[in-house]
Amino acid sequence: MLSICPYFHVHQPFRIKKYRVFDIGNDNEYFNDNSETDLNNRRIIEKVANKSYRPTNKILQELLDNHPDFRFALSFSGTVLDQFEAYTPDVLESFQKLVASGRVEILADTYHHSLAFFYSVPEFEKQVKKHQKRIEQLFGQTPKVFRNTELSYRNDLAKWCEDHGYLGIMAEGWEKYLGWRSPNFLYYPPGCSKIKVLLKNYKLSDDVAFRFSNQAWESWPLSAETYTSWIHSHHGDAETINLFMDYETFGEHQWEDTGIFNFLRALPSLLTSRSDTSFKTPSETIKSYNTVGEIDVPDILTWADTDRDLTAWTGNDIQRDAIKAIYNLESKVLQTKNKELIETWRKLQTSDHFYYMCTKWSADGDVHAYFSPYQSPYDAYIAFMNALSDLQLRVSYSLEVQTKRAKERALKKAKVVERLPEIIPKVPFIATENFKQKKTGWVTRWVSRLRSLIVWGSENKFISPFYAKKNIDNKKNS
Amino acid sequence: MKVLTFGWDFPPSRNGGLGVACFGLTRELTHEGVEVIFVLPRKQNIVGQSRFVFADKTSSKVTVREIDSSLTPYQATSNKLEYIDSYDTEGLPIIKSRTVLEEVHFFAHQASVIATQEEFDIIHAHDWTSFLAGVAAKTISGKPLILHVHATSFDQAAGTNVDPSIFKIECESFAAADKIVTVSQYTKDIITNRHGVPAAKVEVVHNGCDTYAPVRHEPTLSGLKQQGKKVILYHGRITIQKGVDYFIKAARRVVDVDPNVVFVISGWGDMTTQIINQVGESALSSNVIFAGSLWEEERDRMYQSADLVVMPSVSEPFGLVPLEALQQGTASLISRQSGVAEVLSNVLKVDFWDVDEMANKILAAMRYPVLTNQIVNEGKREIQKLSWKDAAKKVVDLYKNLLNYLTT
Repeated sequence: MLSICPYFHVHQPFRIKKYRVFDIGNDNEYFNDNSETDLNNRRIIEKVANKSYRPTNKILQELLDNHPDFRFALSFSGTVLDQFEAYTPDVLESFQKLVASGRVEILADTYHHSLAFFYSVPEFEKQVKKHQKRIEQLFGQTPKVFRNTELSYRNDLAKWCEDHGYLGIMAEGWEKYLGWRSPNFLYYPPGCSKIKVLLKNYKLSDDVAFRFSNQAWESWPLSAETYTSWIHSHHGDAETINLFMDYETFGEHQWEDTGIFNFLRALPSLLTSRSDTSFKTPSETIKSYNTVGEIDVPDILTWADTDRDLTAWTGNDIQRDAIKAIYNLESKVLQTKNKELIETWRKLQTSDHFYYMCTKWSADGDVHAYFSPYQSPYDAYIAFMNALSDLQLRVSYSLEVQTKRAKERALKKAKVVERLPEIIPKVPFIATENFKQKKTGWVTRWVSRLRSLIVWGSENKFISPFYAKKNIDNKKNS
Repeated sequence: MKVLTFGWDFPPSRNGGLGVACFGLTRELTHEGVEVIFVLPRKQNIVGQSRFVFADKTSSKVTVREIDSSLTPYQATSNKLEYIDSYDTEGLPIIKSRTVLEEVHFFAHQASVIATQEEFDIIHAHDWTSFLAGVAAKTISGKPLILHVHATSFDQAAGTNVDPSIFKIECESFAAADKIVTVSQYTKDIITNRHGVPAAKVEVVHNGCDTYAPVRHEPTLSGLKQQGKKVILYHGRITIQKGVDYFIKAARRVVDVDPNVVFVISGWGDMTTQIINQVGESALSSNVIFAGSLWEEERDRMYQSADLVVMPSVSEPFGLVPLEALQQGTASLISRQSGVAEVLSNVLKVDFWDVDEMANKILAAMRYPVLTNQIVNEGKREIQKLSWKDAAKKVVDLYKNLLNYLTT
């Protein structure tokens, strides 16, 4: 038996507009570019919807309808879901329809497509939770298998996932950690007993995702038949072929005229033409197979570039500076308790912002330039840092207002406390022995609560009626 | 291989980047084993020093020929050049004058004389003032002619009011040339679109830069620096082509946000008065310093002391300034309308007319020192790949191809 586990990642960031130094303190909108450039988020979503999301979903729906065995997995960033909802609701609906088939599994992810796990685990947890809620709300599914931003992975992330009830986690099947072993089996991370790791078969995945339209590639043009034979050749030495790629491979990275849609359309029936080949979702894969060994990844592993590490996001000084600056803001921005500020701060954590600042000009440079809406990595950094400076200003302003209010409150409270003897004149009262005994704990509590209410009420300037009413109530009670 | 080269600006004459480019290229050509006969207008005060400029192992390969002409670069064609023709009976000089255009023709006439006296395989003429000389030498000798375009009439006029007499010389010379070399794709586009030269006839050979580590000098403007002022440097001629007026407009925007920035203008030119007036009108007198023309050590010291160098050119065939700045360890902001923008990645780029964006990037460079640090660190590595050696190799290949083509 050989099963195929296709998984497509759907993501779009909120790109920062050309935000200038002059805008700091004057413009609170960072993502609302409305030019004809690739910084215009609405324009991008609409463009990619036409080129990729709409036609691909149509094909995927057909495949689900015509092949009862066809199944696959999807992952969405929260940022792309937000944008679908705002700009192209029909795309979101078509995704919901796919998922309603019951044969499409959705994976867990961070809401903001961030690298938060490596910078702040509490922040990471909040984003995962938010993502889970959103997926439940939109698709009625609770994700059981985790994939982190850019397939980034490390032993401690796997451990975290196990501790939080996930059945599986995805990672790149990279030789550095696999050695001679095959990515086409399940593995377990060190120190974990339940969670299983699904490794991407990067060769077969990238044949489609990167090389499909490369005319210099010896296998170009790649037919669905040839590709099927490559996969079938793994019978006997593999259990699962994990094909992980960007969803946008279909129609956006590989344009329609490359034949990618026909390739996708033809593949399922060709693959299942051998009865011992089937499709499985990640959860089914995990249930079907046992782990064959340990995969030890002490350093960060991702699916990007030839380095397969974080250098595409944190490889140079401006990237490290920017990412440090954003996470340095964490405690302050959370302190404001201002939802809008916190959400904006999280949108700025999206890994793409740092990717655009990458200065690997050679080798992977073309890929970076292709994905970047900015004319240079330095332009990306300037826009980001300017927006972040504005956010910092807003955060400190918000905190200032907060402390000012707290001070005012404290001052008023102090004043009222001073005036307390006036407000509640001491009525001479001669208590009998009997009364003193009766004055048990609850009376004392009522008195002190009354006093605190007076203090609170005095700020709101309706001290006397409130006091009077409470006083009457109290008398009644007693 | 022996090459008859016509140039008109050569260090240590202090005119501009063209001399630097001719020098860098010629030096590396000799290292590639090419013999160069360099023909120059004599009254440029080179005082024979150019022989010693090449006073290393290959010195014998360069011969300098001088022509009795007072041609100097960067002139308008109608400008009068005065010279002492002879002395009268009382020993007083008789002063005559010729226009630049007449001088160019005179230079060409002299060139044809030299072409009959010297032996060579190829003719290589640098820039429009020596194009006619190149054509004349070709007519006399029948040897192949390469024209090296460092700037066009369209650059010097910043796109408008092109001098028709220069344009005519360019067109005629391009037609007569066997091959044309431009210093950038940007310039190639100009001469294919504007002069109608077939693209196949044009080769792009980007300029290079010296890759040795420079001497660190004592910082200049230390008084200002101690006050915490940031220094933004413009280095170049002050003419319409260079976009200094846009630089001043951007300076106004910058100072509105951060008054702690000082703009240094190093250079001189026909627009100097206009720029001084503009500075006054924009109330920037306390933020702009005119340093005059700085060369060699003074220039390097200014480069080293600046926090950012700006090259706001309206039309720049190549633009050596950002390369020189990087060599001296300073980042640059350059206009996209330049040839160097094609080959240099570690630099900030802006469209020259986008004053707001220019100001934004200047301010960003001041606000985020990490940015300029990284540009310099990566840029220093990058300019290692932009050496004169590579440029010279391309030119030698061109020579060889041309000779092969003509002899077989």
